Amino acid sequence: MSQDMLALLFKSLWETTYMVAVSGIISAFIGIPLGIILVTTDKGHILENIPINKVLGVIINATRSTPFIILMVAIIPLTRLIVGTSIGTNAAIVPLCIAAIPFVARIVESALKEVDYGVIEAAQAMGASPLEIIKKVLIPEALPAIILGLTLTIISLIGYSAMAGAIGGGGLGDLAIRYGYQRFRADIMLITVIILIGQVQIVQSTGDYLARRLNKK
Amino acid sequence: MITLQSIEKTYQSTNGIVHALKGINLTVAQGEIFGIIGTSGAGKSTLIRCINMLERPTKGVVTIDGQDFTALNEQQLREERKKIGMIFQHFNLLSSRTVYQNIAFPLELAKCSKQQIDTEVMHLLELVGLSDKKDQYPAQLSGGQKQRVGIARALANHPKVLLCDEATSALDPQTTKSILELLKNINREFGLTIVLITHEMQVIKEICNQVAVIEGGLIIEQGQVLDVFTQPKENTTKEFISSIINHNLPDIFADIKLSATPIANSNLIVRLSFIGHSTEEPVISSMVRRFNIDASILHGNIDHIQTTLFGTLLVELSGEQRALEQALSYLQTRELGIEVIGYVPRHASVAV
Repeated sequence: MSQDMLALLFKSLWETTYMVAVSGIISAFIGIPLGIILVTTDKGHILENIPINKVLGVIINATRSTPFIILMVAIIPLTRLIVGTSIGTNAAIVPLCIAAIPFVARIVESALKEVDYGVIEAAQAMGASPLEIIKKVLIPEALPAIILGLTLTIISLIGYSAMAGAIGGGGLGDLAIRYGYQRFRADIMLITVIILIGQVQIVQSTGDYLARRLNKK
Repeated sequence: MITLQSIEKTYQSTNGIVHALKGINLTVAQGEIFGIIGTSGAGKSTLIRCINMLERPTKGVVTIDGQDFTALNEQQLREERKKIGMIFQHFNLLSSRTVYQNIAFPLELAKCSKQQIDTEVMHLLELVGLSDKKDQYPAQLSGGQKQRVGIARALANHPKVLLCDEATSALDPQTTKSILELLKNINREFGLTIVLITHEMQVIKEICNQVAVIEGGLIIEQGQVLDVFTQPKENTTKEFISSIINHNLPDIFADIKLSATPIANSNLIVRLSFIGHSTEEPVISSMVRRFNIDASILHGNIDHIQTTLFGTLLVELSGEQRALEQALSYLQTRELGIEVIGYVPRHASVAV
């Protein structure tokens, strides 16, 4: 393999990692609070608010039911507004976030729902405020499940990022399509696939390890 | 210490409105261990949750230590709740925290300093006998140990009242005993008022001073444990008590017709109940000697209700009709409970 090809491979690897990392962090920061709102505003929970819960649920479902490739193109005006351009790696981060935020929200929601309501009740009986319950009970108790959920999100993002080539986002997926598939470079195709498998493997193992470390059950 | 005035609680369920509590009046005095017993669905869980407003009563007033809890807003309520400890059937410990951190939790909520927390937690660990387990996680503990952590956590803020929600229902009999012992000690040592709900009469018998029987959202019977045990009025109460003290007639009486009035050639069957000192008096033998009658014991047991001895005897007396009547009036002058079961024809006598 030529020097140029190797450079291209590294560039693509970096682009994928960059897109996934940035969108992963942003979607965690927005998705986790949304997940908390989804749970706590539910019927009978500490901050019961059915209208907010329902509206949020509908928005999240709407975003999640749009195929990523369509979402990416459909929100181009929004991307241009935020990043200033609709083409490139940074531009790809916007749709990746939009797709991952509701995913994270749902995952966090199901993780928090696993927390025994008895423990929340005990905290209430001790005079904990809703905010204290969220910070000191819900999140720590659900942390292993949240970590596993975020791992799943990152892996999904690696998959989604392969489509970012469609708007010039670059990355390994794009490389595999343009060189491996369109230029019949089976070797490139093979290497990118191997790297992607390796990436997913590392992310999953790290996530599993952290979740296991944190799980005291 | 605690007064509940006409507490009502209704829920909106899918099948319409459910009346969980239909007007409960209760008074719990300072330093008392007050037991509320009922079958599942009787409303006891709802009742104990109404005391610290985990469930707000639909109607009625809850007063604790002079403070009207039903009138408080959320913020004030949180502050007041810090003075009320609560323990649960399933312990409800934080699985992500160690024993030490679990006990420290209410102190963190009360904004205590690290130093204060440390002193307090170490003291509590010693009190419940778990000093060596302080860095373990709840998953590594047995049920009894988890409940001890629960108790330590409930006591951390020096509460005035401890609420126990089926605190021993998930524990085996031996562990139950040790937990009840611990509660009793805490009650004695700190004069802590304890309200507990349970479906086990054994728990009431072991530690309570006062008992209330709840059924269908209403208190159907209430009083000193000793009184309720020896003279239960309601059927539900009798059923609960029968799990510990047998008040039923032995099966051998099933086919025998009992007569309420004396009939010729009959034996008299009476149930005697002894409380406290009268258990030490040789009533039966002196009666036999004085009136020249025979007494056969059909069933009997002697038990303790906390420190008070309490026993029942089912006796069949046989002899001259006159002697029987004299014996009966003699028994009535003694300090014991007497219940005439009836007269049985002598040929049907079950006494051996």
